[in-house]
Order: sequence, then C-alpha cells, then structure tokens
Amino acid sequence: MVIPVLAFVGLIFIPIGLACIVSSNKVVEVVYRYDTKCVPGNMLHNKVAYIQNASIDKTCTRTLKIPRDMKRPIYIYYQLDKFYQNHRRYSTSRSDAQLREPKAAGDVAEFCKPEAFAANGRPIVPCGLIAWSLFNDTYSFARRNRLPRDGDHGPPPLTVSKRGISWPSERGHLFGKNVFPRNFQNGSLVGGGQLDPRKPLSEQEDLMVWMRTAALPRFRKLYGRMEADLVAGELITVTVRNSYNSYSYAGGEKAVVLSTAGWLGGRNGFLGRAYVVVGMACFLLALLLTLLCLVFPMKEEHLLLR
Amino acid sequence: MSSRIKEMMRVATARLGGEQSPRGGTSQAGRAEASRTARLGGGGGSLRRQPQPQAPTVRTIYCNDREANAPVGYKGNSVSTTKYSVLTFLPKGLFEQFRRVANLYFLMISILSTTPISPVHPVTNVVPLSLVLLVSLIKEAFEDWKRFQNDMSINNAHVDVLQGQKWESAPWKRLQVGDIVRIKQDTYFPSDLLFLSSTNPDGVCYIETANLDGETNLKIRKALEKTWDCVIPEKASEFKGEIQCEQPNNSLYTFTGNLIVDKQTIPISPNQILLRGCSLRNTEYIVAAVIFTGHETKVMMNSMNVPSKRSTLEKKLDKLILALFATLFTMCVIGAIGSGFMWEVHNRALSRWSEMEVLCSAYRFCGVFINEKYFYLGLRGRVEDQFNPKNRFVVTILTMFTLITLYSTIIPISLYVSIEMIKFIQCAKFINNDLNMYHAESNTPALARTSNLNEELGQVEYIFSDKTGTLTRNLMEFFKCSIGGEIYGTGITEIEKGGAERAGVKIDDDEGKRSATAVHEKGFNFDDARIMRGAWRNEPNPDACVQFCRCLAICHTVLPEGEETPEKITYQAASPDEAALVAAAKNFGFFFYRRTPTTVLVRESHVERMGSIQDVAYEILNVLEFNSTRKRQSVVCRFPNGKLVLYCKGADNVIFERLADGNHDIKKTSREHLEQFGSAGLRTLCLAYRDLSREQYESWNEKFVQAKSSLRDRDKKLDEVAELIEKDLILIGCTAIEDKLQEGVPACIETLSAAGIKIWVLTGDKMETAINIAYACSLVNNDTKQFIITSETDAIRDAEDRGDPVEIARVIKDSVKQSLRSYLEEAHRSLRSTPGRKLAFIIDGRCLMYALDPALRVNLLGLSLICQSVVCCRVSPLQKAQVASLVRKGARKITLSIGDGANDVSMIQAAHVGIGISGQEGMQAVMASDFAIAQFRYLTDLLLVHGRWSYLRLCKVITYFFYKNLTFTLTQFWFTFQTGFSGQRFYDDWFQSLYNVIFTALPVIMVGLFDKDVSASLSKKYPQLYQEGIRNTFFRWKVIAVWGFFAFYQSIVFYYFTAAASQHGHGSSGKILGQWDVSTMAFTCVVVTVNLRLLMSCNSITRWHYFSVAGSIAAWFLFIFIYSAIMTSFDRQENVYFVIYVLMSTFFFYLTLMLAPVIALFGDFLYLSLQRWLFPYDYQVIQEMHKDDPHEYSMIHLPERSHLSPEEARSYAISMLPRENSKHTGFAFDSPGYESFFASQQGVGVPHKPWDVARRASMKQQRQQQHTGRS
Repeated sequence: MVIPVLAFVGLIFIPIGLACIVSSNKVVEVVYRYDTKCVPGNMLHNKVAYIQNASIDKTCTRTLKIPRDMKRPIYIYYQLDKFYQNHRRYSTSRSDAQLREPKAAGDVAEFCKPEAFAANGRPIVPCGLIAWSLFNDTYSFARRNRLPRDGDHGPPPLTVSKRGISWPSERGHLFGKNVFPRNFQNGSLVGGGQLDPRKPLSEQEDLMVWMRTAALPRFRKLYGRMEADLVAGELITVTVRNSYNSYSYAGGEKAVVLSTAGWLGGRNGFLGRAYVVVGMACFLLALLLTLLCLVFPMKEEHLLLR
Repeated sequence: MSSRIKEMMRVATARLGGEQSPRGGTSQAGRAEASRTARLGGGGGSLRRQPQPQAPTVRTIYCNDREANAPVGYKGNSVSTTKYSVLTFLPKGLFEQFRRVANLYFLMISILSTTPISPVHPVTNVVPLSLVLLVSLIKEAFEDWKRFQNDMSINNAHVDVLQGQKWESAPWKRLQVGDIVRIKQDTYFPSDLLFLSSTNPDGVCYIETANLDGETNLKIRKALEKTWDCVIPEKASEFKGEIQCEQPNNSLYTFTGNLIVDKQTIPISPNQILLRGCSLRNTEYIVAAVIFTGHETKVMMNSMNVPSKRSTLEKKLDKLILALFATLFTMCVIGAIGSGFMWEVHNRALSRWSEMEVLCSAYRFCGVFINEKYFYLGLRGRVEDQFNPKNRFVVTILTMFTLITLYSTIIPISLYVSIEMIKFIQCAKFINNDLNMYHAESNTPALARTSNLNEELGQVEYIFSDKTGTLTRNLMEFFKCSIGGEIYGTGITEIEKGGAERAGVKIDDDEGKRSATAVHEKGFNFDDARIMRGAWRNEPNPDACVQFCRCLAICHTVLPEGEETPEKITYQAASPDEAALVAAAKNFGFFFYRRTPTTVLVRESHVERMGSIQDVAYEILNVLEFNSTRKRQSVVCRFPNGKLVLYCKGADNVIFERLADGNHDIKKTSREHLEQFGSAGLRTLCLAYRDLSREQYESWNEKFVQAKSSLRDRDKKLDEVAELIEKDLILIGCTAIEDKLQEGVPACIETLSAAGIKIWVLTGDKMETAINIAYACSLVNNDTKQFIITSETDAIRDAEDRGDPVEIARVIKDSVKQSLRSYLEEAHRSLRSTPGRKLAFIIDGRCLMYALDPALRVNLLGLSLICQSVVCCRVSPLQKAQVASLVRKGARKITLSIGDGANDVSMIQAAHVGIGISGQEGMQAVMASDFAIAQFRYLTDLLLVHGRWSYLRLCKVITYFFYKNLTFTLTQFWFTFQTGFSGQRFYDDWFQSLYNVIFTALPVIMVGLFDKDVSASLSKKYPQLYQEGIRNTFFRWKVIAVWGFFAFYQSIVFYYFTAAASQHGHGSSGKILGQWDVSTMAFTCVVVTVNLRLLMSCNSITRWHYFSVAGSIAAWFLFIFIYSAIMTSFDRQENVYFVIYVLMSTFFFYLTLMLAPVIALFGDFLYLSLQRWLFPYDYQVIQEMHKDDPHEYSMIHLPERSHLSPEEARSYAISMLPRENSKHTGFAFDSPGYESFFASQQGVGVPHKPWDVARRASMKQQRQQQHTGRS
C-alpha cells in the first residue's frame, strides 16, 4: 500500500512543482539596493549623521535596466533588512481599537507606550511605535530612453498608483473611516513618515501596509503599482527620496523592487523546486522500497531469533 | 482456648476490674433506677443518671439504655469512605490536583502570564489548565459519588433493633452504642457486637470471617452463660448489663472487657465479640449488644489506606518530563542570552534573496539585542526593565521568564489527564467487559480496581503466585485409593491431562464419558464401582476395605451439619482434605452422621445385609491431633463390642516408620502406588490401624491424662505420649486426593513462560506439596536441575534436639549460606555447560528467613534470577512480601503477585501489580489488589492482551504527546531567533491555548483506546510478543530521541516554509502577507501534520480514528473561520482578523498546506518504512505474516477432529502419558497454620490457629464439666 501512495504523491507533486517553476520564471524582478548608493561618498563614514541632517537634500536618481519584458501591472516594493517589526516591544505597540473607532482615541495608554501621548498630553492617533516608525522613502520612475514628446502616443508615463495596496479587510474594517490622524509625529523625535490629517485612516494605505507587521526581520512591503509595460533593455530612472533611517543599526539594507506577479505571486522558485524535489524523492523511495521488498522480504525468523 | 490466652485474659480482667471497681458500684446503683424507665429513642426518661466521668482508656457502655450512653457521645454507626464533602470538594480537590507538578507548573505560568513580562495573554495558559482541572475534578467527583452511594447503601441496610419489647427494623446508621440488636442468619454484623444469646441451644453461633482474614471455615463464638436467655425480646429488654471495655483499637484478635450484670463481673473474651464485616452462619438468629460503632469498629480501624501504586512507565514519564524541563530551560537560556548580549556577526553579502538565506539566518545568531540603535523600538529615555538596554543582566533574567511563559507548551499539560482518561476507559470498557475473562460459573467478570497500572500489566517479568486457591482450587476431591495393594479409582487428573496435552495428545473432556457409577459431589470425585456403597464386599480383601472405610469414618475431627441423610449432610472440617475423606467413607457405605462429645455415629451398610442398615456408635476415647511435626492424626476408639482400636492417618514417611514388621508386599506395592499418585499430582495419606488391648490402653491413657494436665510443655509431652501408642501399626492403604488445579493453569503457565515471564510459587504449604504442584504446572520436571534449601536436614534436626535457639539459628544460617554459595556456583556452571537446562530453586520459609539476611541477599537474588522457576514453601505472609520486594527492589524487575487469601495481601501490596482471585468467599486479597480476576488462567488475557495493548498504547500516547508539543514549541523557538530574542509570540493566544486541548486532543485518546497491533487471539498465539514489553522496547530513550529528532525536523519545515512566505508578494495582486498570516499558515500546517502523523503511527485504524483526526482538523478550520471573522473583545489585539480569508485568497496557502505536511512527514515515513523492513519489531513481523487474514475471528482455530473414536482416543492418550514416575509422593493434610496477617501486622501472635469447629465437642465436654462442677 505504501508504494502506490508514494508513486501517487510523486505523480501529483512533480506537475505542480513544474507549474510553480514556470510561473515563477515568468516573473521579472528588478532589485535595486540603494542604502549605501544613495549616500554621498563624503558621508559614507557617518551615514547616521547624513540621514538625520534635515538640511541635506536626500533625493537620489539612478538608472535601472530592465532585463526582460515586464507586463503590467508592475508592483513596486520596498525591502528592509534587520528591521525587527516582529520585536515584542515593537509589534505590540499599537491599539487596534483606536485605529478602528474614533471613540477609542484615548484608549492608548495600555498598549502604545512609549508613543501613546504627545508632548501636550493628548493621545496620539495612530499611536504606538509601529505607526510612529512609518516608512517614508518615496520612489518615482521615468523612462530614460523614450522620453514622451508632444503628440507622441508613446508608452504611458510611469505613474505609481498607491491605491489597493492593502488587503480589503484592513481598508474595510481594521482602519476606521472616521478616524483621522491627530497629534501624529509632533513630538521631539520624529520616527518616520507623516500622515495627512485630513484623510481618514481607512484611506491611508501606506500605513495599513506598514502596520501589517512582517514576520521576519527582512521583509518586503508593497509600495505601489505601475500600470505600464516595460520592454527588455529599457532604461528607467528611479528617483529615491532617501529619508528613512536604516543606518543607525547594522545591516539596515534598503532596496526598491520592481516585480511582475504571476498567479502564484512574486518570483519564488522555492515552492516549485520543493514540489519537484519531493515528488522525485517519493518516486525514488517507492523504487527503493520495491527493491527492499524483493531483497529483504520479512521473515518469521526475525521473531524466532530473539 | 489455650492456657496462654486465659492467662492473658485474667491479667487484663484484673486490671480492668481494679480500676473500675469503685465506680462500678455507683453506676450500678444508678442502673437500678434507670432500668425501669430506659427506652429507645424517646426523650421521656424521667430520671437521668449523672454522666460518669470516664477514664480515657476505658469505655463504659450501658446496654439497652440510650440516655445513659448519650453524655459520652459515642460516634454513630454510619460510615463514610468518601474523600470529599460538598464543602471540601473544591478546595481539597484543587489541592490534590495542584500536587501534580505539571498542574502546579501551569498554575505558575498562568500567574506569570498576567504580568507584563509575558508575551502571551493569560488565556493561553489558563484555558488549558482550567479544562484539565475541570476534567480531573469531574472524574474525582464521579468516583466520590460512587463511593458515597456505596456508603449509603451500607448505612441504610436494615437490622432489627430492640425497641421497648419488640424488634423493630432500623437502618444501620441509626444504631448506637449500647443498643440490643438481632442478627439473622447469613446477614452481616452491622458493628462490633457483644454476643449475648443465640437460638442454638448451647449459646453458640457460627460466624464467617472471610471478609476479615479470608478464612472460609466457620468459627464458633460462644455467649456468656449469664446472657443466654436474651433470645426473646421480653427477656432482652430486661437485660441491663454494663460493659466496661478497652477503647476502640484495630487489633482483630484481642479484646479485654468486663460485663457487669446483677453486680456480677464477668470477663469478656474475644470469643464473645462479633466483628463488623463477619456474617452469621448456621444459626437462625442471635441477639447482641453494640459496643463499637461506625469508624470505631475494628474492621474500619484496620482499613488501611492501600498504598497507591504508580506504574513504572509513569515513573519513567517523570524522567521524560524532567528532560522536557531541561530542554525548556536550555531554550530559555539560549533565548535569554541572545536577548541581552551580542554576538558580533558579519553579514555575508548575499547577492540575492533566497530561501536558503532565510534558513541560514537562523544559525547566524543575528546579533539582535536590546540597543538604542534600534530607534524604532523606542528605547530612549525611561524604558521598562525588560527592554532597558542599560541593564542587560535584568533584561536577560526577565527574558528568561518571558520565554518560559512562551514555551510552556513544551510541557504537555493535558498528558496526565489524557492518560488518566485512557486508562480509566481501558479498565471500564475493556478489562471489566472482556468476555474472555468472565467466569460464568461464579458469575464473576474481571475487575480493574485501580486504573493506574494497566500498562504495567504489559511489562511484568516476574509473577509471584500463591498456590492454594490460585493455582489450585482448594477443592479437595477424593480421587483414588489403594487398599491392600489394589488401586481403586479410574479417573485421570487435570495434571495428567495437561502432561498428555503437552506431549501432543488431546484428551477430550471426559465428563460425559464416565461410567454410570461415577459419583461427583463435593469432596468426592471417584469412579470405580468395585467399592462403592459396600461393593467392596466382593473384592479380594474385604477386611482391609472395612478397616479402610472405618478409619476414614472415625479418624477425623469433622463436624456434620444439616439433615442427617447422605444427600443433605454437609461436613464442616478444618481442612477440605478431611471433609473429602469423610465424604469418601460415606460413599463407600460408612456414613458418618453425628458426633457427640464422646462418640461418633456411623451408619454402616454392608452389601451382605443389603437393606439392613446398622447405626454403630464408636466411642472416641482419645484424639491425638494433627500438627505439623507429627504429620499424623490418631483416634483411639471403642467399638460397641468393647474392642479397642487406634486408627491413624498421616504422611507416608511418618506412617511407614511406625509400621509393624511383616507384610512387605503390601508395603512395597503401596509405596509404588504412592509414587504413582504423587506423579499424578494427587495428595496422599496413608491409613493404618492398631488393635489395642485393654491393659495396653489403660496404662497408656494414664500417661496421656498426665501429659494433658501438665502445665509446662504440654504440647511436647502430648507428642511424646502419642509416640508411645502410635507404633506397630498395620498399613491399610492409602488415599489420593486431588488438589484440583484451577482450570487451564498448566496451559496458562506455559504461555506465560513463553512470553518470558518467570513464575514463582510462594506457598505456605509443605515442600512436598509445593514441589508437587510445581511439577503439575510444569514449572519443574524431571529434567530440571533442582536446588533445594530446606531446614529439614539432619544437622538442623540435631541442633533442634539440643534445643538452644541461638545454636539452631547459627546452624541454619551456616547451612543456608553454604548451600546458597555452592548452588550459585553450580548454577553458573550448569548455565555454561548446558545452557538449555532448566533450573529450579526451592527453599522453605525457615531458610528463607536467613537467606533474606542482607549479607546473603545478593546470593539469593543471584540464584533465583538464574533459575527459571522458584518455589518457596512454608513461607509466612510477611516473607511472601519480602520475596516480592526483593525482586522488585533488588533486581528492579516488574513484578506481579497473584493470590486469593488474606495471607497474600502483603505480597499483593508489595509487588508492582497485585492481582486478587475473586469470585470466592474471601475478599481480603481482592480488596488489596489492583486487579481482580476469577481464575488464574485469565492472566493470559490480562497480561498478554490487555496489558500488552495498554503498554503499547500508552507508549504511543506519551511519545506522541512529547512529539506534538515539542514540534509546536520548536516552531516558536525558531521564531524567537528572528524577533531579536524579544520573546514575541508566533501564534495567536487562542491558537496556543487550544492546541493541546482541542485541536490535537481527541485523536491521541482514540489511539490510546483503540490502537491494536495484532488481534487478541494472535497476542495469545504468539506470547513472544510480550517480551517487547518486558524489554520496554517502546519507551526507551532511543525511541524518544527518534521522535524528538523528527519533531525538530518538522518544526524547521513548518517554520521556514511558511516564514518564507512573507518575502514575496502573493497572488496576482502582489500583496504581502504579515506575521499573523504566516503564523496562521504555520499553525494550520502543524495541526494538519501532527494529526496525520498520528494516523501514520496507528496500527489499526478504525472509524473512530478517522472521525477524530478529521474532526480535529475540521475543528481548527471551523475555529479559525469563526474566530478570524469576528472582532473578539477577549483578545487585546485583533491580530488575526480576516487572516484566514486573506490566506485563502492566495494559491500559495494551498500549495504550502499541501507541501509542508508531506515534506514534514516524509522523514517519518522513510524512517518507519526502513525500520519496518529492515529492523521490524516482533509485532510487525506478526502483522506481516497475518496481513492477508481477512478478519481476526478467522484466527480462532477449530479443534481438530481426530479420526479415533472417543474411547480409542482416550486410551491412546493414557498410553501416551509419561511413563516415568515422579520421585515425589504428594502428601498434604491441612491448610497451613499461619499466623494471621493482621495479627502479625500488629505484632500479636495468635497462639494457635483456632480449630474452632473441631473443638466444639471438647467445649461441650468442658461445659458439662463446668455444669457438674457448679451443681
């Protein structure tokens, strides 16, 4: 009974694995790590001073080459390393009630410390370390070698759409329509991005994405979406406003990622490979057991030997 | 009553009387007044006696006078054996629960989890703890409720109490000290009573004490003459005695007190005391006064708390739990150190994101610690201690606690309660309901009295068995005899049958094929028409036959009961052997029907005078009683015609020594017959007689009377005098009594031996008898090399004759020491030279006493462990227990004791598992036992089937619990590495709290209940399978390590496969999954996998398995669908809101859910298959051999039909019986005269076993003498 089961598992898994690999290979991914490249050479020895100096213009423009054709939509991610969103102190420093209900705006003391109250003693909305450390680098993209000219209906400009980057449950339920940012980032120390106090939280999708804390210290988060096709060899310019402090701790990599998505999601060869490997292993094991059956049949002597 | 007791009583009486005499006078004065008004229950006594101050050592009881007793405030007669009351249930029950380490641990964790250092909500630990406590408490309450109901039914049993002038029925609990009660035949005594009067004319009653000491023979109690007339209520109501007696105590065999009635002080002896728990027999009713009630009765004060036993597996489980604690501690230390200190790690520059890197990162010790550099952690300014980077040491310590709280799931909290439930159901549903262990004749099913020890039954290596009543039925049947050199009786004993079956010959049960003349009644199972009912007249030696029958009919101390017809009469005898002999005489035409103090009346019917039945009165002049040194019993009787004859019966060697010269032929043939009987397992006695002349007798009788009245060494002098007349005997013949083996004993013993179990017989019987039974049970055979250590050697006898006790002890000790040493060497030599040879070790109690000396103990243990079978004879109950604990503690083997009597209680309690034989009259062994079965042969089922299954199941359950908790906790542990060692939880609180009690609880219980490696019939067919239990194959560290390894492997698979998910966008919308998505996915994989893993380890999969596994997985999905759809106010964060729906919108989830369990289980699968093919366990071999069997019922082989006719088969079978005669002749006479177990526990020696029944005649005589003396 064992051998057919193994063969069956192998039979199922290998096609699934191949499908996954195909899907993953179709995905085109461009990663550009800019945490050191966007720091001027003279500041490299003291990157923290660079990032904390508000007077320096931190815009940095780089050119990327698209290796293969990328079909729309193209997803833009930012990726951080050694950023412990899953640290106990960090990931529990939030108040879901406050995010959802205007009434619960003051319900912060228990959960949100040390970012519960502003300097004037009023509760911060959204409170807590997570919101406070909102990622605030921005990216903009432009085509380099095919600049749009008047009257030319060339490819559309590379505009980044920031709508629909969060999960619907967050927009619909977790972040309230009537909750507006208050007292946010007006303390002595600014952790990260600002929020538009006129927009309710249910429309602040960057915040939603950021507050869905990542499981691992190296993570990607969705920044936006470009509804444009890119062709192989095309050069695009990325304009990064590098303002998020990832320099005060070691290994704080930052990167911007452009990726298409297949039915399985982003480029992820692992799942497919695993399926194929397991399927093959099952076949092998089935073979091995068949051999064992023939070479070492079980005998009654085993019992009598003891 | 022996002189010693009398003397004791005199002393006690004097003491009591002395203390009490002044006060006695005053109270008597009061009594006279009160006697007119006293009545029961009412408050109408117009005159009240002043309460008497009582000395604390003495209790004064006014009979029949409740008001007088009221001031003292004796306890009522209601008893309660419950552990809790309504009020104490919760506190006491909880206290009991928290005495368990696991529960206490979880209580501490729960408390810890309410503090801010806890990463988890208290619900995580409180919910499983409360569920576990709830289940345990419900079980406790249920059991206590049963005890309560039991108490209630006892307390509400009815007894007749004297109310005014008539008997009124009242419940037991209303009974008070001083009440007069009437007890009817065959009912139990409600409390300890002073026996006042009986319907029997001579003021005696018969009681059965089986509940107290297991002895089933009736005892006589005799009321004080003064109170004999209280039988009728009118008289009883006039009885106004005052009893002064000792305070309640637990000594069953002593009582000191006085009855003061009519200003006369009469000492009360134990002979007037009727103890609660005994029952009245052969007496219409008795009247008695209540002296001790309720918990103050002797039997209640004796009810010791049976030491609760824990199984060896559970003790090993404790070690496993300790190992888990150690693991937990290690994990916490690693985490804590990681949290506070830093390993400088150089990041490898990895060019691209890959899952390999994720895997590697765990081993890089990411170097995260509490540091202000991590600005987003907000560590500037005032920070709580746990995260304060300025005090790393405190951070480390607090993180340690945090992690302990987080990893608490590594300790399987529900393990104990699951095991308890499993064992409880195993007992209640399987063991107690097993039809294979149901004894239809006595309507007794097996009974598991404790549910702690089921799996211990699967690991037993040594069985200590009592002989009488356990291996044998204690049912003596007259089976054969040899008269004048001729054998009569044609039966085949069970033992011969067993031997024949072992030799490969099947003998059909011969019950139906016996000749029409065969008679089978109590004590008589004989098939030979030649001598039945006087037919011996036509035999060649009728005179010998007459003597034979007369000897049987006269020479005994049996008491006939009931109607004086051969059909209805029953014989009360001190030993069943005697009754069997008398029953034989009855069937041969010498019907003993009445005994008077001086005569034995026998109704003799001779064939020559058919129809003319003659009643003959034989005058009994002297009875020379049996004792263990004499090994014989003689009676001197006078025939109606004045002829004087001495009849003697006894052991062959004793009789043969005392035979007159001549008649060598008969002696020789008789000896041969004795050997023949002996090898058939029969107990033999030789009968002899001697004609005495008047002069001879009278001169001897003078000496006898002298000896009888001597004050010092009376017993010894009597023995000496007896020697003078018990000589020049003429041999009549010999009798053979079958000490019937219990049904199926030889087969059972053989099966158990094949299972690797060694069986020791511990008996109080003589060495000959014991060896005989050992032969019968094939524990010993002629090829066996026997090592015998006995105190019956010449050297020891010589020392005894010299009489110096110190010298005797020295001689015995030396000889024991020497023989132990030489036997041990010899045994080792024999083991080397002829390894296959069976060795047996036989020792008697006296030598055992010295062999158990610490200096010799090692040799004793060494020798007995080498030997396949050990027989200890003449051992006291205490020695039985010592032997059991010698093996238990000295050899660290798992032991089982089985016995049926009170003398086995200590042994039963000393062994790991105690088994009582139930369904017989005595309950003491059963009350002390852990399991009760009706027959020895049911051990096969109990051990090989239930024990083995329980062991396998329990091992599986425990190792599985270990695995599932370790797997779960390790995923947490891997996560800790990537959270900066902050102790952030991976799972939602409710996931963690319900993991053990809901999502993985039921299937493992199903396995604990239903897993079956091979069927019951195969278990018994291949007893070798049992050895896996003895070797503890399934619960070794190796097995645990394998589980642990796979738990490790699987947890890595679960964690990293799912954690990788947060690296990429998922689904065509490119959205990213967060931490809670990952953890929910991981949890789903864990739940699915551990449930599937259980299915993989099942040997037999029933629909219950499918239901429970599918149900558990479904329960998880149902839970998460509901839980993530609502915003719970119980949780402080809405972490998992909508998570499962988010997950289910991605293909990734499904693919991972399919892949992760397969990869996780692949390793187990590979291991299990290879193990099964290359290194199979025994049971797996059997499974393979029988895998094509369609159904287990087909395994029961029908007995093969032989082609021979039944007669042919039978004669063939007999011809195939082993020819070689055994060197042993069986001899037995009595049940051994032990000291009572309780008495020996109390340090009170009981001078003699009360031969109560036999003494009745002499008591009558004494009474007559008293009468004559008084008048």
